[in-house]
Amino acid sequence: MNTLITRSLSRQFGALGRRTLATTQLKSGSFKVQDDKDFIDKVENSKEPVIVDFFATWCGPCKALEPRLENVIAQRKGDISVAKVDIDDLGELAAKYEVSTIPALVVFQNGKVKERLVGLQDEDKLNLWIDNILKK
Amino acid sequence: MPCWGCRAKSYNTKSVQKTGNEKNKNQSNLKNKPENNELGCAANISAKNISAGEYDYDLVVIGGGSGGLAAAKEATALGAKVAVLDYVTPSPIGTKWGLGGTCVNVGCIPKKLMHQAALLGESIHDAKSYGWQIGDNVSHSWESLRDAIQAHIKSVNWVTRVELRDKKVEYINGLGTFKDAHTVQTVTKQGERNLTARYFLIAVGGRPKYSNIPGALEYGITSDDIFSLNRVPGKTIIVGAGYIGLECAGFLKGLGYDATVMIRSVPLRGFDQQMAGIIVEEMRDKGVKFLHKCLPKSVEKLDSGKLKVSWVNEASEEFNDEFDTILFAIGRRALTKELNLENAGVKIAGDGEKIDAVNEQTNVSHIFAVGDVLYKKPELTPVAIHAGRLLARRLFGNSTINMDYDNVATTIFTPLEYGCVGISEEVAIKRYGEDNIEVYHGYYKPTEFFIPQKSIVHCYLKVVALREGDQKVLGLHFIGPQAGEVIQGFAAALKCNLTVNALMSTVGIHPTIAEEFTRINITKRSGKDPNPASCCS
Repeated sequence: MNTLITRSLSRQFGALGRRTLATTQLKSGSFKVQDDKDFIDKVENSKEPVIVDFFATWCGPCKALEPRLENVIAQRKGDISVAKVDIDDLGELAAKYEVSTIPALVVFQNGKVKERLVGLQDEDKLNLWIDNILKK
Repeated sequence: MPCWGCRAKSYNTKSVQKTGNEKNKNQSNLKNKPENNELGCAANISAKNISAGEYDYDLVVIGGGSGGLAAAKEATALGAKVAVLDYVTPSPIGTKWGLGGTCVNVGCIPKKLMHQAALLGESIHDAKSYGWQIGDNVSHSWESLRDAIQAHIKSVNWVTRVELRDKKVEYINGLGTFKDAHTVQTVTKQGERNLTARYFLIAVGGRPKYSNIPGALEYGITSDDIFSLNRVPGKTIIVGAGYIGLECAGFLKGLGYDATVMIRSVPLRGFDQQMAGIIVEEMRDKGVKFLHKCLPKSVEKLDSGKLKVSWVNEASEEFNDEFDTILFAIGRRALTKELNLENAGVKIAGDGEKIDAVNEQTNVSHIFAVGDVLYKKPELTPVAIHAGRLLARRLFGNSTINMDYDNVATTIFTPLEYGCVGISEEVAIKRYGEDNIEVYHGYYKPTEFFIPQKSIVHCYLKVVALREGDQKVLGLHFIGPQAGEVIQGFAAALKCNLTVNALMSTVGIHPTIAEEFTRINITKRSGKDPNPASCCS
């Protein structure tokens, strides 16, 4: 119970902290991509790696992945952010980056696709995967 | 990942194609080939070299439903340049949906899921007699079911979209209308576009009709709306007793709603009327109410929010009652009016809205049609898929195989299902004469019905056959659980010229219900009791 609260508190503080830091760069944490322009601004133009989570509201595995990814990202304290793309709203983006199975995690850096991870993953796998990205 | 019917169907295409091959080789109708030599050219050059030439596309498909998409994907696989136009005009109450057509969005798929939900309710009840300890407060949430079904549909829309993308079929979200015989005009978010093509395929399907009575359009819903309805249906009156009306009444009753069906003349017109009568009896036993020989007169909205529905019977006596929902299932209209077919010179059939085509070819040689828009052809998804695929192969793949519209199996997913293949008893009598046909029939008892003491009085099957020789089977009719699963295999047997002799020499799987087809031995002519010998029933 205690650890849960602490964790969620620290996550909240983390988010707060990031938000203040983000006055210069709005890239940390997890955010939902609103439109194509938003995607260009926050993902394609980002010099830091951004994980794009292509998901749909009707997709069960996507729902299961979401909290796991959030946990793993929260532990990184702002080192990497997640951009959530609803494929029903932004189908053209999914098409452009050849997403055909969801959930699909696609890492962007300097406008280029660096990594891809398709399907539901456990937290261990996500941790390893993100560690690898951050090492590069 | 969801598996769409169309993908799964690719298996049986091959087998049917083989049998169809011999049968149709000589039927390839030369008269119906285009007068110019385009088809011959396209067929002779290697598939990958097909080019649209003077046109933007080799094929423009109007309508992204089962038939249109199947044809588009097959044509693209054969090297053709293809565009599909798909657009859903919202229903009067504003329901709209995505890519894939009626079956996926507002037809077979959500219908089968709602049917399954209703069957599960029955199973929960039955489970108690099988020893499962279940509380008495079992309830059903319409919202949960609707959301789960809509989520599944959206996933199928997505898979369909990805499939088109992968197969390089251009998808255009716009309504198509003919400007001239080689140009289709469409308006999309990006503006107006004119698409020229060597061939066109009309695959626009149909939409439900509404009664021409006051209040129908304002307060009525149809099968277009029921599967995504944003409120519980409540007490519902269904106008129309075709298969859509009966299926809707069946699952609504099964989910716990009061359901009434209003029948103008006969239930399940076009189907074997003895079987139709049994289905109605079975539904009545389950609590569905029927108003025979009645016509709706008006729908009014009361201050309470309820709908006051008035109707008249044969004797012109007027009645009324209050309902939460009125659902019209009085037939479907082919969406040809919207196409400006006159600009292309395509003629409409005698019924004023469908398209009469021979081997899917309209009177304009480079314009074709598949699916529900075709005159006097079965309105079934697998038929449209099959016809669309075979057509694409004839246009772009050097094939001469035509669609065989005979002996197509179908199933009505009423609470107790009715599956059939071939012709009805009345059509057989009309076609061959009563003296020349033999009808085998029998009631049967599904083993699993005994313990929950479910009614077996409507579990019935019949085999309509020629009377002479080995007795070639003309039609198979089956009412019972899983009728669709039962009849599908026998449909293949019928394609192979099944005889009663062969059926009787087939050894059954015990205990199944499908084995009942191997046990038939009582003819109607004999007058013997078709009820099974039994204890205490």
